[in-house]
Amino acid sequence: MFKRKTCHKVRRLLSPYLDQRLSLLERVFVEGHLAGCALCGSELESLRATVDLLHRVPMVSVPRSFAVAAMEPKRRVVSFALLSTATAIAVSVLAFFFVGDAFNLFESSVVEEGLKGAAPLPVPTPTPPPPVVFDAEMVGAQATSRWPVWQIETALIGVVVVLAAVTLILWRRRRRARDVRVGST
Amino acid sequence: MEEYDLILRSKKGDLESFNQLVEKYQRLVYNLALRMLGQASAAEDASQEAFICAFRGIGRFRGGNFRAWLLRIAANVCRDQLRSMRRHPTTPLDELVSDRQVDRGVQSPEEYALQRELGAEIMNALATLPSEQRLAVILYDIDGLSYEEIAQVMHCSLGTVRSRLSRGRERLRHLLAQRVELSRKEFRLKE
Repeated sequence: MFKRKTCHKVRRLLSPYLDQRLSLLERVFVEGHLAGCALCGSELESLRATVDLLHRVPMVSVPRSFAVAAMEPKRRVVSFALLSTATAIAVSVLAFFFVGDAFNLFESSVVEEGLKGAAPLPVPTPTPPPPVVFDAEMVGAQATSRWPVWQIETALIGVVVVLAAVTLILWRRRRRARDVRVGST
Repeated sequence: MEEYDLILRSKKGDLESFNQLVEKYQRLVYNLALRMLGQASAAEDASQEAFICAFRGIGRFRGGNFRAWLLRIAANVCRDQLRSMRRHPTTPLDELVSDRQVDRGVQSPEEYALQRELGAEIMNALATLPSEQRLAVILYDIDGLSYEEIAQVMHCSLGTVRSRLSRGRERLRHLLAQRVELSRKEFRLKE
């Protein structure tokens, strides 16, 4: 059992042993085993003959020249550039809508009734009038929107997500193709 | 002109200089593609595509071993081709190693016939190996690259190269058992 395990271990090292790619310790281990194991010795000879056969494989001449002719620019680059520009525009429009919505740019003027509740000012008065405080909630509740802002924003979010996903997929595919085809050394 | 100068000029877009590099390496790239794909027409396509990719990407070559860099591109193109061949299998119409393609050198007709037969037999055996093991065996035992160069081509560690080569050879040993036995007898007779 122990010997079979050692044989198995040695056989895995025979190929690098032939190529002289073993460490000193490994080489001593393999040579020590080979000295006493005829079966592994025979395996080594058989492997050596296989490698010898491979070395004798004839080279094949090229059927034609593979010289590169002048090339046209790639089409994909244009489509990728267009897609990324469209994504950027969609993101900008969405950002504009968010900002506009936050500052109530898309709403009609504040309804006058919202301010009528303020206390009448005494005339004449030596003290300055109290500052008018806008109740945001009240104003928000009484303001009317000229644009269907929420619908537009939701639709824009959808467009941005789809465009960004497609751009991301295309970008990753391009990067992978570049890495795979043209590996840097 | 030196290879280094040709690479520098190619990086600046000089197609003529790049084509001198193509001239130098096309045999190596075509042979790798032929042994990886097993079909002459597919190997032609892969070789051409590899050189086009190399020209497009030579700006990203940051020095080092140009042969390994080029073979890496060729190996990746071959992998793509193998994937597509698996998806759309076709019956090859061309011979693996045709008469006009094998380098005859200064051989007798008998030697030439034996060489052809051996080449075809080994090609068939290689075709049954997993692609990574096949690539390691072709690069080391047939093309004569070092472990370090193969690690660059395959983008893996030296240990992985060692293991892929070992497994590939072991499998080939079983597949070519008869031929190996004959070769061993031949060897003993010579001794």
